[in-house]
Amino acid sequence: MNKRLPIQEIWVYLSGSPLLALILTLTAYQIGYALYMRSQRNPLVNPVAIAVLLVAVCLEILDMPYAKYFEGAQFVHFLLGTATVSLAIPIYRGLSGLRGRVFPLLLALVAGGLTSIFSAVGIAHWLGADHAIVGAMVSKSVTAPIAMGIAERLGYSPTLTAVFAVITGILGAILARFVLDGLGMKVWWQRGFAIGVAAHGLGTSRAFSVHPEAGTYASLAMGLHGILGAVAIPLLAGYIPTF
Amino acid sequence: MIPGLVQILLWQGGGELVSHFFLPHIPGPVVGLVLLLCFLAVRDRVPDSMALVSDAFSQHLGLLFVPAATGVILFLPQLRQHALAVIVALLVSVLLTVAVTALVLKLVGPGGEGE
Repeated sequence: MNKRLPIQEIWVYLSGSPLLALILTLTAYQIGYALYMRSQRNPLVNPVAIAVLLVAVCLEILDMPYAKYFEGAQFVHFLLGTATVSLAIPIYRGLSGLRGRVFPLLLALVAGGLTSIFSAVGIAHWLGADHAIVGAMVSKSVTAPIAMGIAERLGYSPTLTAVFAVITGILGAILARFVLDGLGMKVWWQRGFAIGVAAHGLGTSRAFSVHPEAGTYASLAMGLHGILGAVAIPLLAGYIPTF
Repeated sequence: MIPGLVQILLWQGGGELVSHFFLPHIPGPVVGLVLLLCFLAVRDRVPDSMALVSDAFSQHLGLLFVPAATGVILFLPQLRQHALAVIVALLVSVLLTVAVTALVLKLVGPGGEGE
């Protein structure tokens, strides 16, 4: 009984429990987050992208199928729903300081939301992307946890949606300022709101690092876009040609 | 922190139930979010323990979608094949979205100068 376990048996034992997948996920994110902080929150050094890359490389080295990894990592994944509910708090904080801007904000949100859907779907289709990819474009401007829920209900891939959402966030966080400068937008809350509608969480953290008022409005935009997206996209789905 | 987490989980549970029985096209957590938002509006303040949970989640929201996003390895061949379409669509779309949102705010927003 006291015989030492050969390394392979230890391995079989470990890979059968959720522990390995959890350690992988959290360690990879920890490394990604540390690099992000060290780069002074440079949007190019995205902690999620780094973590995904590290986990993917580990799975490749360990020869672990993705389904097996997800079985363990689903405990982290489950918390997405809880995190979504807790978005109510920043939205509430944002709403309580609004002072009669509700109408312009909602109008801008609807216009921006529609632009994000139809431009992405249209261009992806025009350039020959297949159904799965075009479908995952539909909710990519909504914050990832909600976007994935919407994609799931509509029968599109939550994974591709999450990936597109993260890429959108990175691009928006880096490039939005050039568009805003080009359009001569000087009011902080307007700049913040536009970034939040287009680039959800990553855009919001970028906005906060530039100006607190921009950040508050970006986070409000992200939350409202999440709610509106979840309510309206399934209703709109029949009119969005995903081919 | 625990009372806040318990409350948020209860709102999530309520949201799942309402979604399942009445609003099947809206994800349960989003219904939970709206219910909680109404509750906060009625109470007119955010309980401290709930604020703690929410801040922790918002700071590390990214961690939670690592497991799902890693599934991208299953789509690599497909993405490689359509790489140009994906990149151009995402890039142009995000730029247009920023521009349209900003322009609408500029046109209909209350005079923002000096605010």
